[in-house]
Amino acid sequence: MSRFKNPEAEENVSCNVIPMVDIMFLLLLFFMLGADMTQRELEDVVLPRADKVQQDAKVKAANEGTRTTVNVFHVHGSNGTTCTTFNAGQVCRDLEHWKIAIRSNYYTLDTVKDALKFEAEQEPEDDPTLVGKGFSKRQVMIRGDEQAPYGYIQRIIESCAAVKIYRIEVAAALPEPK
Amino acid sequence: MAGSQDPNENPVAINVVPMVDVIFCLCVFFMCSFKFKQIEGKFDSWLPKDKGSDGGVLTDVPLEVRVAMFWDEASQTTSRQLGSRKVKTDEELQTLLRDSHADHVRAGKPDTPVTIDADPRVPWKEVINVMNLCKRESIDKIEFAFGAGK
Repeated sequence: MSRFKNPEAEENVSCNVIPMVDIMFLLLLFFMLGADMTQRELEDVVLPRADKVQQDAKVKAANEGTRTTVNVFHVHGSNGTTCTTFNAGQVCRDLEHWKIAIRSNYYTLDTVKDALKFEAEQEPEDDPTLVGKGFSKRQVMIRGDEQAPYGYIQRIIESCAAVKIYRIEVAAALPEPK
Repeated sequence: MAGSQDPNENPVAINVVPMVDVIFCLCVFFMCSFKFKQIEGKFDSWLPKDKGSDGGVLTDVPLEVRVAMFWDEASQTTSRQLGSRKVKTDEELQTLLRDSHADHVRAGKPDTPVTIDADPRVPWKEVINVMNLCKRESIDKIEFAFGAGK
């Protein structure tokens, strides 16, 4: 038997939570920076896919105006009603279900022209060759749902032409990688 | 650090448990509300500044390649026609667009536009598909036809 008594092992099993709190802070920071609480210009649409789309330029050109985003999307589930056609994956052609929105303000096929006219008046064209002709350098991005009736986009383009907005872009999504 | 100090050095201990609880709640909130954005691109579709804005009916028949698109509500399908020829598949349409564009280039008219004349009920993705086929063949001039008399 040993002359020296073995010291009793101290049992101190405590969980060090400091690294966990550090990780939680980092996660929180990541999600807070990624969250966007401001008024959204982009509605929830499923964009049509195209492989020849171009990405937005990182740097805006000097003569570029600011951009107005016009969304054409399907409103289903509003007022407690659901669109069975849309939910079944078919093409819904009920015009009451399709909306046009600019900065979360809703417009109809008849009122969208007035909204675009207001947008056009905010930025008259300053190109020397176009000054005085009433053109606007405001850019319009049309984000239409892939199932949206072409007539809606047609009316938006027509309205842009009527109010002398000529810089139009249409949004599409890149195809999914195979 | 909290939780590992000698109590004799600092008798006022900070209880961090509520802070961890609040951080958990915030984390769950932001994780549930987080949405990954779809990668978006765009087609530039600048309108001509010298025609079409007054909505007048065309008096001269322009030189163009016209893709007509019709919507069949019963079958929920879109049928396409290039000129007078019905087109069934994307490959066929792309080939016809390529040949037509090549013919116009040989005739000395490389700026001949492709005009998309679609029924208002046609899904937008079908129109984008035709635009995409044009872009694949390096046809940059694409026009949209509007109904007369609006």
